[in-house]
Amino acid sequence: MTMRRKWAVIPGLFALAAAAVVLSAYSGASSPEGRSPKQPIAFPHPAHVKTLGMNCLYCHFSANKSPDPGLPAVGTCMGCHLVVGPQRPAMNGRPARTSEGIATLQAYWNKKQPIPWVRIHKVPDYVQFPHMRHVNAGVTCQTCHGQVQDMPQVRQAASLNMGWCIRCHIGESNPGLKARYDCSTCHY
Amino acid sequence: MTQRTEGTGAAAAGATRREFLKILGATGAATAAIGCGSDRVERLIPYLNHPDQTVPGVSDYYATVCRECATGCGVIAETRDGRAIKLEGNPEHPINRGALCARGQSALQGLYNPDRYRGPMMRGSGGLQPITWDQAVATLVRRLGEAGSAGRAGQAVFINGPDAGSFGLFLDEWLAGYGMPPHLSYDALADSSVLEANRQAYGVAWPGLRFSDARLIVSFGADFLDGWGAAVPQQLDFADARAKVEGAPRVIYIGPRRSLTGLNADEWIACRPGSELAIANALAATAGTSLEQAAQASGVPAETLGRLAAELAATRPSLVLSGVTTANATEVALAVAAINRAAGNVGVTIRPDEALVAYDGLSPAADVAAAIGRMNAGQVPVLMVRNANPAFTLPRSAGFTEALAKVPFKVSFSSYPDATTELCDLVLPDHHPLESWGDSQATAAVIGLQQPAMDPVFATRATADVLIAVARGNPSSASRYPAGDYRSWLVSRFPGGASALATALQKGVATGSVARRAVPARAAAATAAPAPIETQQGDFFLVVYPSAVLGDGSGANKPWLQELPDPVSKIAWQTWVEVHPSTARERLRVEAGDLVTIEGPGGRRITAPVYPYMGIRPDTVAVMFGRGQRSARGDADPVAIRGYPEGTVLEGYGRFARNVGVNPLDVMPATFDPRSGAFAWTSVKVRVTKAAGHQALVTTEGSARQHDRGIGRALVMTPAGLREASGTAHADEIAPTGSPGTEHSRPGTAGASGREAAGERGQGGQGGQGEGAAAGGEHEFPGDASHDFLPGLRAPVAQDAQGSLPSDDNAKGMYSPKHWSGMANRRWAMTIDLARCTGCSACVTACYAENNIATVGAPYQTKRAAVPATPGGNILRGREMNWIRLERYFEGGDEEGAEFDPAFDTRFVPMLCQHCGNAPCEPVCPVYATYHSPDGLNVQVYNRCVGTRYCSNNCPYKVRYFNWFGYGEPNRPQYAWPEPLNWQLNPDVNVRGKGVMEKCTFCVQRIREAEHRAKIEARPLVPDEFTVACAQACPSRAITFGDAADANWSVNRLVTDRRAYHVFEELNTFTAVVYLKKVNHPGPAQPAATTPAAAEGRNGD
Repeated sequence: MTMRRKWAVIPGLFALAAAAVVLSAYSGASSPEGRSPKQPIAFPHPAHVKTLGMNCLYCHFSANKSPDPGLPAVGTCMGCHLVVGPQRPAMNGRPARTSEGIATLQAYWNKKQPIPWVRIHKVPDYVQFPHMRHVNAGVTCQTCHGQVQDMPQVRQAASLNMGWCIRCHIGESNPGLKARYDCSTCHY
Repeated sequence: MTQRTEGTGAAAAGATRREFLKILGATGAATAAIGCGSDRVERLIPYLNHPDQTVPGVSDYYATVCRECATGCGVIAETRDGRAIKLEGNPEHPINRGALCARGQSALQGLYNPDRYRGPMMRGSGGLQPITWDQAVATLVRRLGEAGSAGRAGQAVFINGPDAGSFGLFLDEWLAGYGMPPHLSYDALADSSVLEANRQAYGVAWPGLRFSDARLIVSFGADFLDGWGAAVPQQLDFADARAKVEGAPRVIYIGPRRSLTGLNADEWIACRPGSELAIANALAATAGTSLEQAAQASGVPAETLGRLAAELAATRPSLVLSGVTTANATEVALAVAAINRAAGNVGVTIRPDEALVAYDGLSPAADVAAAIGRMNAGQVPVLMVRNANPAFTLPRSAGFTEALAKVPFKVSFSSYPDATTELCDLVLPDHHPLESWGDSQATAAVIGLQQPAMDPVFATRATADVLIAVARGNPSSASRYPAGDYRSWLVSRFPGGASALATALQKGVATGSVARRAVPARAAAATAAPAPIETQQGDFFLVVYPSAVLGDGSGANKPWLQELPDPVSKIAWQTWVEVHPSTARERLRVEAGDLVTIEGPGGRRITAPVYPYMGIRPDTVAVMFGRGQRSARGDADPVAIRGYPEGTVLEGYGRFARNVGVNPLDVMPATFDPRSGAFAWTSVKVRVTKAAGHQALVTTEGSARQHDRGIGRALVMTPAGLREASGTAHADEIAPTGSPGTEHSRPGTAGASGREAAGERGQGGQGGQGEGAAAGGEHEFPGDASHDFLPGLRAPVAQDAQGSLPSDDNAKGMYSPKHWSGMANRRWAMTIDLARCTGCSACVTACYAENNIATVGAPYQTKRAAVPATPGGNILRGREMNWIRLERYFEGGDEEGAEFDPAFDTRFVPMLCQHCGNAPCEPVCPVYATYHSPDGLNVQVYNRCVGTRYCSNNCPYKVRYFNWFGYGEPNRPQYAWPEPLNWQLNPDVNVRGKGVMEKCTFCVQRIREAEHRAKIEARPLVPDEFTVACAQACPSRAITFGDAADANWSVNRLVTDRRAYHVFEELNTFTAVVYLKKVNHPGPAQPAATTPAAAEGRNGD
């Protein structure tokens, strides 16, 4: 057996592997878990949730009544930030500062432009994820989205792959929260 | 395998196993790194300010009025995140009671039509060019002022479409402000002859018609199921009538061509065109025409007419209708009114007190033709047209196009580039009805309210608002419109004012009546009586009829309607010529798809492919009207317009209509009924010759015959009771495995074995309810269903290929009724009542709208570098995606088509995924992409599907459809939803990708939505609380959906009906779709096709 013959299979294997990758990418099986893109405004969840004690549903207002969790309108932000401007006084032991984020927000508002947030969480194609069913069943936001209240920059905390969904649906994480796991529950 | 042999083997193969794994590992890691590197950035764009009272992902509903035809049905527009995504009938509206036809549902594709004008246009050097609204209004103010100061305003012409509300009054007031005459309200589809005759006979234009109270319905060419009159209410009532089975009316259709209405009739009397008057006079008995004379004139045997006369005399109450379209149509309608009066039908089945007012005040076509005369004489200074297209809907010989050129200033308020608008100087595109305010008087006491369901898609403006702006542009007239918009004008006139309107808007209907314009007196008919059709020169009578699907052609720019096969011919995206098979073979020597040329008077010609149709007289040819829209610029490539996206076709009625089919009015003379001014659609004899070439018929039909497969079954009502009709022999020969099969349907032998079989099958625990009904007394009806399928229907899924049902012991996982999820306690199922189904195909369009089904036949979707754009090209290759289709089978008659035989029966069968409990598609899928859900759905998991198409090959019902192209990908030539058509896509349903199989899902998104709603409200599902899209739309109420395992759902009662059967029950598929047999009502002398199946030796007693 010669080396030439031995290495002749490599291009074939490369092709096979490439095909597998293309297929898996096409089916959404690869997961961007841990992805944490930079947002147009460095929105600090910890300041709003932990320091100010705001409820997730204040901004993501339809997560308990719609498949869609709701993305706050720029007007919702401005409800507070009309008053709370970019010049932040010394507070809680922090020195006075200028908030770039609030300045950017107000700039969007003054230009009457929406903020082009970068999407982080997305289930694969052909999957339906009704938020309200999960929220009303007592699944916390953190179960899927991670400890957002501790994330200065939000990252994708879970893989959102099917196996990850199923683990919960069959009651592996919490037997009290098990749910249907038939394909047509989510795939339609 | 030992170490030694492994070495030897590896040497032969070229690599050892270890080396193989090493290489695999290295390549795998490399490609995995590449794979994870790609990361598309997707943006989430929030609102600037969130609109009040809307929740993203949850629909809002607006009650409004459908404006696709004159009827004015109430509709509910479902909007999601500010966009209308679905139209359904308004259950509160008394006219259409929640149903909606295909045309009405397709209004959405008019709203989102990619070839709409995006703003006002004015004629410049290079044709129509975009201008601003300020310029447009200023231009109109100036030109109207000029016409006024020249003292010629009194000669201006305003042609408006049908409008049964306040707008007509508003418009006439506005016109009067400029010294202009009242407008012409022109509806090309309105049967002006019948309106005229009704006014004379009953005192109202359109009396209420009660099909369900009649025992005999005789239609003289009145195509009440094809769009003649108020289509949806008529169909609702007709279906209710036919569903009675015993006591249902017998239906007789008289006419040269068997239309969809004719196919729904029990008997067809195929008379010569133009001879209806003789028959009606003979039946009326008072007019001095004998039956023999009528037989002589019509070519119908005298004994048939005698039998008809006897039947009419003996049956009370009856309902006789005329919808004849010859030049003597008013006389026929008056003779028919005399028959009704003599039979005592007035006030019983014909109710002047329940009159529809939609047709009041319409101007017949002759009035528009009279305006053509004034235009030609150069008398008309300004012509305005809105919601009408006379350049297309009048025959070319009427000369509207040429006359238009002699009008110095033409204004169109059309939103679409139709034949009339293309020739205008100023285009002021109107809002779509779903974007604007209005009202519509349905009956004398019911107002339908029209409100915007969403913000305008483009920079269009409501015509009424433009007219107000024009009036306010002139100081002298500004004071008449203090409020400045039409909505305020409406509110000020509404009975009860703003608060009453706000309350009524929630339901979309109000009681009372709005002020409407005085109906202008018609000028005395100037046209002379044309030569009777039978005395003309020519080989064939030509019957031209408006398409049941496309209406007056206004539907042709909506791909749903273009793709919807004609209910009779099953042809889409094409104009065809209907010729009797014997004529085609012997006289013309052509076959299906061969081109023929029709030559009318004056040598005008059209060429179209032949469709051999047994439902037409051999001396007649028929052509549908609605297609054949052309650009005024001819066949040259459309010009690009500044500011419009690539691919926009702003001519010839847009990319979906331009150069699709031919217009039969091109060969027609402009003949009008002198008594009513109605255009005579049937008025001419023509020469038909074979032309060179062949154009394959774009048909979705596999076979017009059932070949005894028992797909569409029927019973025959005889004096002795119900009997089986022909067409099921094959199904009975192949008995279901393990069941006594045909024994069941034989009286006497059925009882014991039937009970046994049902009991045996019912072991699963789910079949309990079925047993009693299945075993109890059902076989007393000869030809009755065996109901062997009931236990299988009520269990979620078959346990094995033999159709055994699961029991508590052997059912696994969620398939066990005891499983905690409880899914297996439901079996979603459907019944389709073929006695109700008329084949109208509204369900098909509803399915397209609900499930994001791609249309594939548009010309641009087939265009390649070397291949010209072919309308329907993808359908020719069998790539249509209709999840539910209407199969149409002919039964009886002369199958070979050698001779004319009017006695044939038609079976319409809506065919969709049967959601088999024992599905042939499931075991053949190599990747488990299709499987059975515990609640009884046959599910297609798109993520898993790799496109082997084995499932489709193995499906006996042929209801699976494959995505041959990326119809959902905007950058592909096959893209089905060019912006903004994609705004209509249902966000609850995926758009399937290339290479994926798809099919009916039983609207699983609606099932899950209802489950979500119930769960959030912490309650169980309420029986019949939701339904699927096809069932919701059905104007025959033929489809019922629900849980067959729960006795409280309507479907549970219907599956035990004595008429219930499964298609291909012998295949043991245990389908979830149950059909109820059609019922035919043959007359005293039974035509062959509708007689009991004595020849097959069944049920003879």
